[in-house]
Amino acid sequence: MKNEIDISIDFAGVELANPVFTASGTCGYADELSDFVNLDSLGGFITKSITQNPRKGNPAPRIVETDSGMLNAIGLANIGLEKFIEEKLPTLEKFSAAVFVNLAGKSIDEYVDVAKRLANEKSLAGFELNISCPNVAEGGIHFGTDPVQVAKITAAVKKAVGEKILMVKLSPSVTDISQIAKAAIEAGADAISMLNTFTAMAIDIETRKPILANKTGGLSGPAIKPIALYMVNKVYNEVAKKYKIPILGGGGIRSAKDAIEFIIAGATAVSVGTASFIEPNCTAKIVDGIKNYCSRKKVKSITELTGSLEV
Amino acid sequence: MKNKGMFSAIVSANEKNSEQFYKLELVFDGDGAQQFARARAGQFAELDLANCKLPQAENIPDDLKDSANRKILLRRPFSFSDVKAAGDKTNVEILYCAVGPATLRMTTLAKGDCVSVLGPLGNGFSLPDDKSKAVLVAGGSGAGPIMHLAKQIKADSPNVEINVFVGAATREKLPFENCWFDKLTTGGAKTTVATDDGSAGNKGFVTDCVLNWLNENKSAASETIIYGCGPEAMLKVLAEIAAEKGIDCEVSMERVMACGFGVCQGCAVECKINGSDKTIYKMCCKDGPVFNAKEIVFKTKV
Ligand SMILES: Cc1cc2nc3c(=O)[nH]c(=O)nc-3n(C[C@H](O)[C@H](O)[C@H](O)COP(=O)(O)OP(=O)(O)OC[C@H]3O[C@@H](n4cnc5c(N)ncnc54)[C@H](O)[C@@H]3O)c2cc1C
Ligand SMILES: Cc1cc2nc3c(=O)[nH]c(=O)nc-3n(C[C@H](O)[C@H](O)[C@H](O)COP(=O)(O)O)c2cc1C
Ligand code: FES
Repeated sequence: MKNEIDISIDFAGVELANPVFTASGTCGYADELSDFVNLDSLGGFITKSITQNPRKGNPAPRIVETDSGMLNAIGLANIGLEKFIEEKLPTLEKFSAAVFVNLAGKSIDEYVDVAKRLANEKSLAGFELNISCPNVAEGGIHFGTDPVQVAKITAAVKKAVGEKILMVKLSPSVTDISQIAKAAIEAGADAISMLNTFTAMAIDIETRKPILANKTGGLSGPAIKPIALYMVNKVYNEVAKKYKIPILGGGGIRSAKDAIEFIIAGATAVSVGTASFIEPNCTAKIVDGIKNYCSRKKVKSITELTGSLEV
Repeated sequence: MKNKGMFSAIVSANEKNSEQFYKLELVFDGDGAQQFARARAGQFAELDLANCKLPQAENIPDDLKDSANRKILLRRPFSFSDVKAAGDKTNVEILYCAVGPATLRMTTLAKGDCVSVLGPLGNGFSLPDDKSKAVLVAGGSGAGPIMHLAKQIKADSPNVEINVFVGAATREKLPFENCWFDKLTTGGAKTTVATDDGSAGNKGFVTDCVLNWLNENKSAASETIIYGCGPEAMLKVLAEIAAEKGIDCEVSMERVMACGFGVCQGCAVECKINGSDKTIYKMCCKDGPVFNAKEIVFKTKV
């Protein structure tokens, strides 16, 4: 007899044990995190952004804490495609969680090349297209703010990934996020991931200089949650619902309550980033908290909660 | 077996140690006790201080009044000044200064309080097994790990001569009144103090004292090792002295950290690749915080 609450979901055709993902760049390639949390408790795992060649990243300081949040300007520092395949993929293969590789690049060709190289890896469920990094001079967010560019890159990468799922990760730093989501979906995105960080800054009043060496950074953490929640609800109502495309929602989630708010607003699954720095096992706690909620509220399938906002 | 984790520790004491420094004592039991019992000098832990109380308004120093109410989100990193295993418990001591909102709140932790701790993290100092002389240099809040290292060398490499140098801007900013100084001295370590204004010990920079000492106590460079922990400007000078004299030198670096365990890539330290001009960024929390001084490209404006 199983009285364990079932919170499994179908995410764009992939079966997940639960709707909780780790967010890109906040859990590395999983090896370090496994000292603190059982990664098999996750629904999905998203890697740090991978580029074709290794990237050194930005000089220090790369991070600064702000009220209820933090700014980061890492600059997509990563080990590069070859080393990722050689050193990190074998560990990721062992997890029961669905693994998604986050793709970044300077040109559409670079995104396509990396995607092609990984498209046949059996251990990967799919990809997250990062067209929303605020901390690099070329590529990144520049692909994510113009619907025409978004459509072009989404179509090209979708072709490269073949059968695998392609999520497109949106930037909040745009005038109308629904328009960007629509462009990505019409060009073939299987899911929408939102949100990346908000472009922001912090100033040292003694020196009158920006605190981050990169001058600006991306704001994450609890400070962005209410805005992220609003944007997920907006994209759900205006675009995703109509096209029946799932949303991976997040931004500032640190509790099961936060996660459930996102699901009610329209997310099919949720991603947890900054909170893992403070409580590396918080993803597992959120999974348990969602189960408790479902049992208390007699929710039979977690998908009936998605977009269930009463208005 | 895992060698680090997230544990709750109980505060057994938290007292002012000098004008500037406080000493926090934490007790671990269970797995935490086992893992912290193996902690090496120079390793560190990440403490969650977000829910600590603020001190009474009249006890908040003037320079922290404006920022005292800021909400804390991230954990804060601290090295250890001592680690003692006692039966199935482990006592960990942290020497710290109140410099901002989190460390200000840290001063209100009281006996019996519970603190969430991640650790032990990073790599500590190596022991001077093939040396006969160890030169330990502490500046500012770097005193804790140097004190811990002195104890570890005494216990694990008893034949090594220990020379401790402690620097601060003024007498008030030294990490001890007298107790620590006496303990080290009676324990056999020679301790030299330097203050910028001469209000205690020698007047001038602690690195000048180190240089004088090295010039006066000539011994084979290969017999000596320098360990440094403190402001980056001090570490830079130490590295230059060591390079010029061909002495091995290890320094403990500080960076603002978001995670402390290698996942965020936030704590970049610029390092030379095999002594060339090419550099990469290593992670202070995971590859350090203790580095071979030869590797580091020190920030020039510190
Ligand atoms: C590996 C490591 C070990 C450390 N060990 C100790 C220790 O044993 N004892 C101790 O007192 N402190 C130690 N520190 C420094 C300590 O972490 C900071 O003082 C603390 O994070 C400040 O938090 P806050 O909120 O009080 O101040 P914040 O508001 O964060 O900062 C106030 C001011 O403190 C300084 N500061 C902030 N963060 C750091 C930092 N990471 N390094 C240096 N200066 C900083 C800056 O000048 C800043 O303007 C260590 C740091 C690292 C990285
Ligand atoms: C230190 C740090 C590094 C990040 N690196 C990446 C990255 O490489 N690629 C990416 O798509 N998003 C990256 N992000 C954004 C997160 O994946 C997430 O979208 C964002 O932080 C909002 O969620 P949170 O508030 O839960 O952290 C990073 C965020 C942080 C804080
Ligand atoms: S603090 Fe996150 S990698 Fe070092």
